[in-house]
Amino acid sequence: MLLLFPFILILTLVAASCCSVLAQSLGYIPAFGLTKVTLSYYVDAMTNPDFLRSLVVSLQIAGCSAVLSAILGTLVCAAFVRRSGNAALYLIRVPILVPHAVAAVFMITLFSQTGLLARIAYTFGWISDPCQFPQLLYTSGYGGAILAYLWKEIPFVAYFVLALMSGVSKTLGEAAENLGASPLQSFFRITLPLSMPAICKAFLIIFIFAFGSYELPMLLGVTYPKALPVQAYLAYTAPDLRSRPAAMAMYGMILLVSVLLSALFSAAVQRLSHRAGGAA
Amino acid sequence: MRQRTFARLVLVVTAVCILLPMAVLLVWSVTGRWPWPLLTPENYSLRTIRELFHGSASLPRLLLSSCMLASMVAVLGTFVGILTARSTELYNFRGRELARGCALLPMLIPGTVFAVGIQITLLRIGFADTAAGVVLVHLVVAVPYCIMIMADVTRAVGTAYEEEAMVLGAGPLRAFFSVTLPHLMPGVLSSLSMGFILSYSQYFTTLIVGGGRIKTLALVLIPYIQSGDRALSSVYSVAFVSSALLVFSVFEFLLRQTRLDSR
Repeated sequence: MLLLFPFILILTLVAASCCSVLAQSLGYIPAFGLTKVTLSYYVDAMTNPDFLRSLVVSLQIAGCSAVLSAILGTLVCAAFVRRSGNAALYLIRVPILVPHAVAAVFMITLFSQTGLLARIAYTFGWISDPCQFPQLLYTSGYGGAILAYLWKEIPFVAYFVLALMSGVSKTLGEAAENLGASPLQSFFRITLPLSMPAICKAFLIIFIFAFGSYELPMLLGVTYPKALPVQAYLAYTAPDLRSRPAAMAMYGMILLVSVLLSALFSAAVQRLSHRAGGAA
Repeated sequence: MRQRTFARLVLVVTAVCILLPMAVLLVWSVTGRWPWPLLTPENYSLRTIRELFHGSASLPRLLLSSCMLASMVAVLGTFVGILTARSTELYNFRGRELARGCALLPMLIPGTVFAVGIQITLLRIGFADTAAGVVLVHLVVAVPYCIMIMADVTRAVGTAYEEEAMVLGAGPLRAFFSVTLPHLMPGVLSSLSMGFILSYSQYFTTLIVGGGRIKTLALVLIPYIQSGDRALSSVYSVAFVSSALLVFSVFEFLLRQTRLDSR
């Protein structure tokens, strides 16, 4: 297929890049005179408590962001489905084009201990000092990064799911209501289950993105524990070139965990949708 | 009735959550001093605007380079999107399902890993720290979305019109360009706008592959945020968001025009 050629070229590039990362993570960097293939960098990483802490933190950020975005995004989408004016449709696309760095600025101006919300709390007399305002940013729970992801990804989920859900709702959902289902019944038993493929896809995209991305945990995070991509970038830019394979092992772990989770998740979704299809 | 009130409530809360931070951003971008615990700034200043135009990272140059990169990515991404969608949606061949599945694959490879990996490849072929390398890496980010958008319209338009044109004597190329392509226009415009925005807001990939030599608006924004200067980071954010919104609105306008035309 000649038409597929440019896309195959791009896929090859992606595959080659992943292979380079994996090769270097196994200690194969001829340019540095390293040619002995070894798993020791992975073993080092897996036995390093700092690395494990980072891995857990990144999984937490990704998990919280993806689960909450998927649920709340579906809710927003459901509210949009039957009455999506042009202005509303325009509005939910705005956060998609605002970059993550700007979302970080939003969190700093609103949620930091001298942010707008803390000032409002002071005005109402709920707190008398900035440090009484609950600290959300720059904590080991990465609340600031998660909030910033939510600001961006809830509208993303709503927009991503909207096409499918409004199609389902306008045909089968309304049919169910004509047959006597209440709006809530028709939503939970018809529209929501049939929109699940898009919701699951959006969930996976967000999870993988939040797990592997650098800006937000770097801007709104703490020095310990660092998110995995931040830790990996530090090792990557370290002046000591001997730390290169270790950095690559961290990138390798990000890659492997992402691929593994995507595969598991897709398989689980497929099995569930199979079962649902069989029951219907 | 209760559901309708609930739906309206959700919409209002969503709108406030989206717009409130942007309004605060606008205020911060012209703030001089805003000490705790005042609810509004103590005074306003144009220091930030001066810095924006005359500082070390001057806006016009950044806008130019960011827009040029993003336009390249948008055009190339849409081109790849049209071709790929056409082959996976309109033609039957072995591996068609595989090709469809692979279209989403680059979305599932974390950008940070990919950026570092492609840098190794680019160093080998001599494209590292060049604009071409940056376009290439942004393209990988944008292409899955372009394909997804194009696949939907391609499937909807189908081959019926094209076949009709060919029956009437048009060659395959002419049939595509003068019959199918106009029908694909809504998808092409959305894909261009998506590709542009995705490239425009890339940070990490530009940082790694551009090696600091390729400067974009998204790239210079980060150090201002790290420095903790809320006024300056806000003014750069405003510049970023308003330019992105402008481009997005132009595409939306064109989209509406083509829809009106086809009616």
